[in-house]
Amino acid sequence: MNRRIPTLARFLFVAGVLILWEAAPRVGLVRPSDLPPLSTILPVLWGLLHQPRFLADLGYTVLEVVIAFLIVAPLALAVGFFLGENERAERVFGPGLNLMIAVPKSVFLPVFILALGIGLTQKVVFAMSLAFFVIVPSAIAAVHSIPKALVTAARSFGAGRWQMYLHIYAPAMAPVVLGGLRLGVILTVFGVLFAEMYASSMGIGRRIFAWGELGEMPQLFAAVLLIVILTASLNAAMQACENYSRSRFALQSER
Amino acid sequence: MRDEVRRVPEIIVSDAVSRSFGSFVAIDNVSLTVREGQFITIVGPSGCGKSTLLQILGGLVAPSSGEVLIDGEKLNGPRPDKIGMVFQEPLLLPWKTAAENVEFPLLLRHVSAKERRERSLALLDLVGLAASVGRYPHQLSGGMKQRVAIARGLVQHPRIVLMDEPFAALDEQTRSRMWGELLRIWERTHATILFVTHGLLEAIYLADTVLVMGTDPGRIIARIDVPLPRPRTYEMVGSAEAGRLRNQIWELVASGQ
Repeated sequence: MNRRIPTLARFLFVAGVLILWEAAPRVGLVRPSDLPPLSTILPVLWGLLHQPRFLADLGYTVLEVVIAFLIVAPLALAVGFFLGENERAERVFGPGLNLMIAVPKSVFLPVFILALGIGLTQKVVFAMSLAFFVIVPSAIAAVHSIPKALVTAARSFGAGRWQMYLHIYAPAMAPVVLGGLRLGVILTVFGVLFAEMYASSMGIGRRIFAWGELGEMPQLFAAVLLIVILTASLNAAMQACENYSRSRFALQSER
Repeated sequence: MRDEVRRVPEIIVSDAVSRSFGSFVAIDNVSLTVREGQFITIVGPSGCGKSTLLQILGGLVAPSSGEVLIDGEKLNGPRPDKIGMVFQEPLLLPWKTAAENVEFPLLLRHVSAKERRERSLALLDLVGLAASVGRYPHQLSGGMKQRVAIARGLVQHPRIVLMDEPFAALDEQTRSRMWGELLRIWERTHATILFVTHGLLEAIYLADTVLVMGTDPGRIIARIDVPLPRPRTYEMVGSAEAGRLRNQIWELVASGQ
């Protein structure tokens, strides 16, 4: 019974937001030209999804996100794992890493554009630079979360290096690493869209920016709604993986 | 009786073993000989290097000088085929069941699933956990978890079992019950057991011989044979003989600090 209340409350909250979206422009709280009612957005979105040019932009953005994430995830995990395993290396590179986590990466976007142009590479690299600095610390934290005594015990049972990684490290690190990867995906999407809005010839970000400039609110909100649905689904799927691994691989046995 | 003991082979020989960490001498020139089938306990003040000594004998820490011979063979690293280890914490993998935890050392050696399961079931039965085979660590009490850890330490049929304060985290009642269980297992398996503890009565109750360590640097300062007959009973803990030994060891521990 208690478990169902949050589910219901969440559903009601989302429904309330959607109803407010529909009602606010209709009762005159906001001008319909600034925020068109939801019911007028849905047909526009339906139309966009049948428009080859829009689908090409969508595919281009998805491709950038996929490429960026497929490169940055293993790279950042490897770097984080290395730093987590090597106390010395972490002492050398840790402060610089912390500094880079704090710096807003958007200030480097003009540099990326100068160096890499406004094509796919620039957006992929910019998105990677965002995701990299959240995945690395999570991988370091994941390595540090493995109890040393557990590693010693596994050595006494005869575990070699790769057996240790497979049987102890991987499951023990999974919950923290998956949490970091989830944030990494979110930042990759953000980075690609942001870079597209800043300077690009293709992609959803560029379309949203252009519609905003032209005041084409129905198309703008239709695209925003689509991105909200896509990223929320992606986030929910990764959250589910994370929760599963947390319930299965949590290191504290008292749950 | 003495002459009989002499003929039993020496299974662990520590020859002038020392270990330093930086300028800190954790273990200084420890020589000891353990014969097959003996139950040896090691006591000493905290920080005397008891655990370090056990880790050296288990091949987990390399000595800075001197050498350890197991079965006459120089020890160069963990020997899971000969040495089983049980630690102060159960250190079970929370994502594995009791049986899977016991099987873990066999899994590492690529033993077939069928044989793994047979051996883990036999050992969980031995430690009295036949009914908890499929349970996860968080579903087990502290005493049950430590029994799983003991079963895991025994699963490769090691001839030597090194135990590092395995009952320290248990409550008094569970601990005294575990003493009886451990002695029963020891008699069944004929294993040689080295058992580190800071409980003097525990050390006396379990052992043939108690090794007393002194601190700074960690070294062995006395070797006390326990003349209590076997099988041991819990009443012996309160006997005059045990009390006398306890006082003797207590004074040694106090003087070794």
